[in-house]
Amino acid sequence: MYPIISLSVTGLLTLFLGFSENKKIVFPASIAFLLIALATAFIDWNAPGFYFNDMLQVNNTSIVFWAILIISAILIMGFSEGFERFEFAQPAEYFAIVQFSLVGAIMMVSFKNLIMLFLGIEILSVAMYVLTGADKRNIRGNEAALKYFLMGAFATGILLFGMAMFYGATGTFNIGSGVFIGGDNSFFLWIGCTFMLIGMLFKVAAAPFHLWTPDVYEGAPTIFTAYMSTIVKTAGFVALFKVLSTTFSGLQDFWWIMIAVLVTLSLMIGNIGAVSQNSFKRLMAYSSISHAGFMLLALLGDHENALGSIMFYSVVYTLATISAFGVLMVVSKERIEKGRVYEQNDLFKGLAQNNGFLATVLIIAMLSLAGIPLTGGFWGKFFVFRDAASSGLFWVIIMAVLMSAIAIYYYFKPVLLSMSKKTSLESITINPLAKFIFAITTFGTIVLGIFPWILRSLF
Amino acid sequence: METLETIKNLTMTQWSFYAVSVLTLFGALGTILSKNPIHSVIYLIMTFFSLSAHYVLLNAQFLAAVNIVVYAGAIMVLFLFVVMFLNIKDEAPELDNNKIVIGASIVGGTIGVILVAAIRLTESQKIDPSTYQIKTGFIETLGQLLYSKYLLPFELVSVLFLIAMSGAVMLGRKEKGERNF
Repeated sequence: MYPIISLSVTGLLTLFLGFSENKKIVFPASIAFLLIALATAFIDWNAPGFYFNDMLQVNNTSIVFWAILIISAILIMGFSEGFERFEFAQPAEYFAIVQFSLVGAIMMVSFKNLIMLFLGIEILSVAMYVLTGADKRNIRGNEAALKYFLMGAFATGILLFGMAMFYGATGTFNIGSGVFIGGDNSFFLWIGCTFMLIGMLFKVAAAPFHLWTPDVYEGAPTIFTAYMSTIVKTAGFVALFKVLSTTFSGLQDFWWIMIAVLVTLSLMIGNIGAVSQNSFKRLMAYSSISHAGFMLLALLGDHENALGSIMFYSVVYTLATISAFGVLMVVSKERIEKGRVYEQNDLFKGLAQNNGFLATVLIIAMLSLAGIPLTGGFWGKFFVFRDAASSGLFWVIIMAVLMSAIAIYYYFKPVLLSMSKKTSLESITINPLAKFIFAITTFGTIVLGIFPWILRSLF
Repeated sequence: METLETIKNLTMTQWSFYAVSVLTLFGALGTILSKNPIHSVIYLIMTFFSLSAHYVLLNAQFLAAVNIVVYAGAIMVLFLFVVMFLNIKDEAPELDNNKIVIGASIVGGTIGVILVAAIRLTESQKIDPSTYQIKTGFIETLGQLLYSKYLLPFELVSVLFLIAMSGAVMLGRKEKGERNF
């Protein structure tokens, strides 16, 4: 409850800070605001309860997710350096929108009422549409923002239609409280379930609702791509889990086949699509589609464990993604072509020779995304496979293991390029804050790879 | 003959329901079928007005008024402005693409069939006139709900508007120098 209030207020303060002459104050102030929100999140620790007539449910699980979301936002915003390098930047607006969008993400992980879910999704999505088009002079960015906005608006309409059907069938927007399942009205419940799933799966970029992903990831400024692929995904999967495990748990016979088909489709399209990509951001976009497939696997299994698996997976995915996009941000600013930063895969050629630290960070991130043992990604995949195995869906798991093998191929492309002898870059400057964030994300990936129970034991 | 009997026995409310429904569907079909975008917009206004009539029939007067003010008023004017500024007429042939039309009809038709089937298979509860609260759709009831049960979402909508506003200002602000793509 408290971080919602804190972030709404500090977001407004950040907007007003934009008026001040000294633009340098906005960056440290916003990081401080995010830290305040993180601190207030723990006021409710061990004090579970419902707020505002069952609109919001607060318990230790939701507080852990709040912390994950806010910490990821802090780590990503750390790379911005106050947006001083970007000539197009309006730092105060960006930081304010980021803080407001976190309000939406927090609503999505702790809602108890579908109206709160809808509002949360909208707050987060509208913020993402704006941030995608933040680089106004990049025609790719404009295209991406428009595409994302139009397709997102349709997805929102479909989600809302599903919620209306749900209301028609049950007479309430509350999830998991005396919901009327089965009987005469269940047809509308089925329609509602399907349409709500479509709307929410669009937001987490699961195939076949993934068509916007590569273009939007490529067009958006890299820092906001990182934000989009971590925070929206974490919040979206928790929301999906909450809806499926409470309201629609009685309908599991109905929706499991849809989820199983979506998992296979996401894994195939994501992994096979990524193989032929030359742009690093498009590669990460397809990889994000395939990771959506892996995270959906957890929903197929026993719901007792699923939330823990989703939490672990989203943490390791977030850490690795922040590392990968961070390295891209740091390295790409050294090579400008046609007035734009260069973001193809061969940017990393000879990185190991040039800057060993960055190459290590990149390689560990790629290994974790590919799911190699001794990195967090391995355990993330292990837990979701174990969850899916408990439901006996072995054909989906065999499919997923095969696709992980393909994934190793394309994740090793940047790794091998960075090992090559020829270097195309001059020396690379890293500012100390970025170095610190790289240290956190890489260290976290390895620690979670060796001692996964640190995080798993939270649930 | 039986159908004729049913038509004879229709009450006033049922008559107005069917009349308004025919108008709504006519307007909706006109919106998507007319070639001229201006005609489309005017058909859409008709659809919105007849939808408002439906709201009145459902005892939601406030919703009906808001629907006219916001949709038929503000949003349609925006639509008309955009249509007139963009002069879409010349770029119409893209819409004649048969593949899109066929695909859209199949998808729309399937969803329609599913909905009709669901409605036929569902036994909806009839409202009992003796216990029905006449004030359900009134603005007082709505206001009380908004400020008691739905207080939190009502307040948090302002965050959504703040994002939309600051985003619009950010994207619309004039930049120094030339545009370079």
